Amino acid sequence: MRMLPVLIRLAWRYLWRNHRRTIVMLSAISIGAWAMIFMTALTRGMVDQMITDGISVLPGHVQLHNPEYLDDPSITNRVSLTEAELETRYADAGFEAWASRVRVPAVITSERESRGVTLLGIDPIAERDFSFVDYDKVDGRFLESPDDSGVVIGAKLADTLDTEVGKRIVLMSQDPDNEIADRGFRVVGLFHANMETYEDTYAFIGKKTAQKMLRIGDTTTEVVFFGNDYRNVEPTYEKVAAAVDDSMRVSRWTEVDTYLGTMLSVMDGFMLIWVVVIFLALSFGLVNTLVMAVFERVREIGLMLALGMKPASILGQIIIESMMLLAVGLLIGDALAWLTVKPLESGIDISVVAKGMEMFGASSVLYPKLHMDDVILSNVVVLILGFLASLSPAWRASRYEPVEAITKV
Amino acid sequence: MTAVRCVDICKTYRQGDQDIKALDHLSIDIEKGDFVCLMSPSGGGKTTLLNAIGGLDIPDSGEVWVAEQRIDQMSKGQLADLRLANVGFVFQAYNLIPVLTAQENVEFVMQVQGVPAKERRSKSLAILEEVGLRDLEDRRPAEMSGGQQQRVAVARAIVSRPELVLADEPTANLDSRTSDELMELFTELNKNHSTTFVIATHDQRVQRYAKRLVRMRDGRIVDDIEQDAA
Amino acid sequence: MNIVLRLAWRNLWRHARRTWLTIGAMVFSNTLLVFMISFQFSMYGLMIDNTLQVFSGHMQVQAPGYKDDQKMRQVVLDVQPLAERLRGELDSETIAARGWAFGLASSEERSYGIGIYGVEPEFEGNVSNIPGLIKDGQYLGKSDAMDIVIGGMLARNLRVGVGDELTLLGSGLDGSFAAAVVTIVGVFESGVKEIDRNIAEMPLGAFQEVFYMEGAGHQVVVLAPTLNDAPLVERRIAATLPDNLVVHDWVALQPGLKQAIQADMSSAFFMYGILVILVAFSVLNTQLMSVLERTHEFGVVMALGMRPGRLGRLVMLETTLMGLIGFLLGAAVGALLTYWFSVNGLSYPGMEEMAANFNLPGRVYPQVSLLKTLFGPAVVFLFTLLAAVYPALRLRRLHPVEAMRTI
Ligand SMILES: Nc1ncnc2c1ncn2[C@@H]1O[C@H](COP(=O)(O)OP(=O)(O)OP(=O)(O)O)[C@@H](O)[C@H]1O
Ligand SMILES: [Mg+2]
Repeated sequence: MRMLPVLIRLAWRYLWRNHRRTIVMLSAISIGAWAMIFMTALTRGMVDQMITDGISVLPGHVQLHNPEYLDDPSITNRVSLTEAELETRYADAGFEAWASRVRVPAVITSERESRGVTLLGIDPIAERDFSFVDYDKVDGRFLESPDDSGVVIGAKLADTLDTEVGKRIVLMSQDPDNEIADRGFRVVGLFHANMETYEDTYAFIGKKTAQKMLRIGDTTTEVVFFGNDYRNVEPTYEKVAAAVDDSMRVSRWTEVDTYLGTMLSVMDGFMLIWVVVIFLALSFGLVNTLVMAVFERVREIGLMLALGMKPASILGQIIIESMMLLAVGLLIGDALAWLTVKPLESGIDISVVAKGMEMFGASSVLYPKLHMDDVILSNVVVLILGFLASLSPAWRASRYEPVEAITKV
Repeated sequence: MTAVRCVDICKTYRQGDQDIKALDHLSIDIEKGDFVCLMSPSGGGKTTLLNAIGGLDIPDSGEVWVAEQRIDQMSKGQLADLRLANVGFVFQAYNLIPVLTAQENVEFVMQVQGVPAKERRSKSLAILEEVGLRDLEDRRPAEMSGGQQQRVAVARAIVSRPELVLADEPTANLDSRTSDELMELFTELNKNHSTTFVIATHDQRVQRYAKRLVRMRDGRIVDDIEQDAA
Repeated sequence: MNIVLRLAWRNLWRHARRTWLTIGAMVFSNTLLVFMISFQFSMYGLMIDNTLQVFSGHMQVQAPGYKDDQKMRQVVLDVQPLAERLRGELDSETIAARGWAFGLASSEERSYGIGIYGVEPEFEGNVSNIPGLIKDGQYLGKSDAMDIVIGGMLARNLRVGVGDELTLLGSGLDGSFAAAVVTIVGVFESGVKEIDRNIAEMPLGAFQEVFYMEGAGHQVVVLAPTLNDAPLVERRIAATLPDNLVVHDWVALQPGLKQAIQADMSSAFFMYGILVILVAFSVLNTQLMSVLERTHEFGVVMALGMRPGRLGRLVMLETTLMGLIGFLLGAAVGALLTYWFSVNGLSYPGMEEMAANFNLPGRVYPQVSLLKTLFGPAVVFLFTLLAAVYPALRLRRLHPVEAMRTI
């Protein structure tokens, strides 16, 4: 341990003895580190956005349904608890947000066209914070209360239906007895969403209005809950599950939207692979540099051994040199990544490929995100792998016989 | 007390299909406080003997004792500790670590020994003063002449007052005045601290300072005489 | 062997370990590039084929505006005769007429809004793979029977099966109320949720009757022999069409597909670019070392009268040799790896869920092709040569006397 300062000084000086080689290697490491983090920030931003969007459309980190509902989203498969019963169980449980809602497939008909939509009966006040619709950016107005008598549809759907704010449409679905349940509504607002499909798919009406139209009294089809982190939904899940018995099904968002759920783990895996691939591409140069660095100072290593330095210290010296090289390179790379990602955090417009991004489930503006965890992960992976890669050249260096080394020309 | 004892040591190098006996059944005892000068024509085996004594090289057969310990069977780590604690080295060539300054080179051994920084600094500056390099302490080896480098190496060898100093051609690159100064320094250390010196050399001037002259040829001692040092 | 070539070759192996490490970097990147590019383009091919073969075909004749709005009244008049005429003119069977309407399908217990296609049963199978995906019952037969085939998930949701009746409600072309009772003759499973849940097909004749289409439809779907032939076929069709009709190619029909590929490609090529640059740095590092450590030697031969330019060429030749080894080994290993997967298939955890979004199977068999094998390694080779330019040029600044002084 007391050797450490000596070793550090030696390693640092040796690093700069052949400054050209060190600079070339540093550039490579910096570019590699930059690429790791930049790419990670882009994908992380994309996936984050996808998941946040996805969760706000689902919506919820955790959902409560009738066990049949997910396979057969029909009005017959309702949550068996009334709103009052839900209220007593969950009102004080400390969720970030929660809401019960009515969601059924329906047909919307204007004077000219009909389309299938997902009809959402909501309490607009309870959903304001997590809705994928920005209430303030609605053409016309958004719903104002659970017994609002208007409907809000997507701008895209309004186009297709040839309708507009102020005009009337008819919504048609079925009641629990398979009788047609329909009602005329006045379009009060047109919402805009990140993705065109959302604008095509959803029609919002008041929850009370929906219950009346579908003749389901004080019941709903789903209850949605938000915790504070989509990556860690277990606390929310347990709170929700604890309050109901087996007759209800409680699911995490990863189970409801398996595409999004796999996306998250696939992306995490992908990023690790990317970091490792870059490292491997760098490792050849790194090992090369170390081999050369040892090669050109065999005599000096012999001298140090002759003067009484232990082989372990020689090993340490080479490893420290390698770690310094990596650390400096990583530092520059991290700084570069920070400098390039920060200005982009306000969003990169990639609407040229908007429809393509929609296929991935992503929106047309990319918000790169520099997550501390990701930065730390890539740095640590590189340092650990770098340590392993330097073992072999360092070991060889420490195995020299002093006399042979000194007399080597 | 014997500082160094070699008993019947052999060292053979293979060069092509030829065996070269660098040390050929050589035995020698060196008392503590002795000042020995090894002489031989080039290739006589001086460096090989010094390396064997310093534990840098293990002879093929025979025994080597340093400071009452048998060293030819020690592990590398033990040898390193022994050198660190007891032996100062001046090599024939490539003596210094190129990335360290003169002072840092002198401090190197002490640093490995774990001498505190303050003590290191004062000792190294004092010793550089003694070898006449006071103003060059911040230069790196590449910025010094061959003779100056050699003096730094000597300074490093004696700075921690080892019991035994092994020097291979320490005056090779020095002019006659600095050679004399260096030898005087050695003699003084030898007198005051009874440091044992074993010096391999061709230099006539060096021989004058020796208490004992050992002549070698083809790995054998051919002559071994006590003399009154100058 | 030429003396310079032999010299270059020997120089290369002076530091065998270093040379191999540098070649290692090339082989690593090349292998990865060959494999990734082959895999990626196989995926794109599959994505395009699978997506287009479900429904959209390589191109469609439609009324202007229909593509974006899908309104009932944006019709192709006399759609069947048009399809018939095109089949004759192009001498092709892979052309079929369709109509499309939105309707409410009700069983005893349930009602769902679905998209209903009217199709020509005898030709639909040539342009779409749905007829081949019938899992239960059979596909449509006579052109005016009140029959329907529906997706598997829709069947489950409606709680119906083959032989059951469905009531269809919707509006006709003229806006009037349209209703019919149809018999389910088949249930298909495409594996794509959206399709299995939302789509039904009935014979075009019956469809036109139910929705008061009066011979009109919404699209004529055309499948060219291959994707590459599509533009030619498209031009021939466009030339024969009246002014009130347009033909859209697959890019226009499925804008997401092409854009998804573009988006994926740009991120992939960013990654490939980084790999190539890292290899280039590896080469730069090695060649710089190899030049610097020979400074003395170069000084000597220059003092003897060798021109710096020739030394530079020597360094470039060494790099070329090294690059060639990397190129050949990398391409070979990459092709072998790809070949192995082309036989055994490739899948990774989560791929199935992801792939379904793009009409892809859960296991992909990438194809080995010469172009995809050589492209990546060729770029790496090029950058390898570029990387050696700086070390080679440094030689021009070499002074024999100074060079000989350095050890
Ligand atoms: N590593 C080695 N490999 C082969 N032969 C060696 C090796 N080291 C020394 N020798 C040979 O052993 C003999 C003794 O060498 P040594 O270096 O001890 O001589 P020396 O007396 O120090 O000579 P000089 O005065 O030139 O320094 C010489 O013949 C030499 O060639
Ligand atoms: Mg010698």
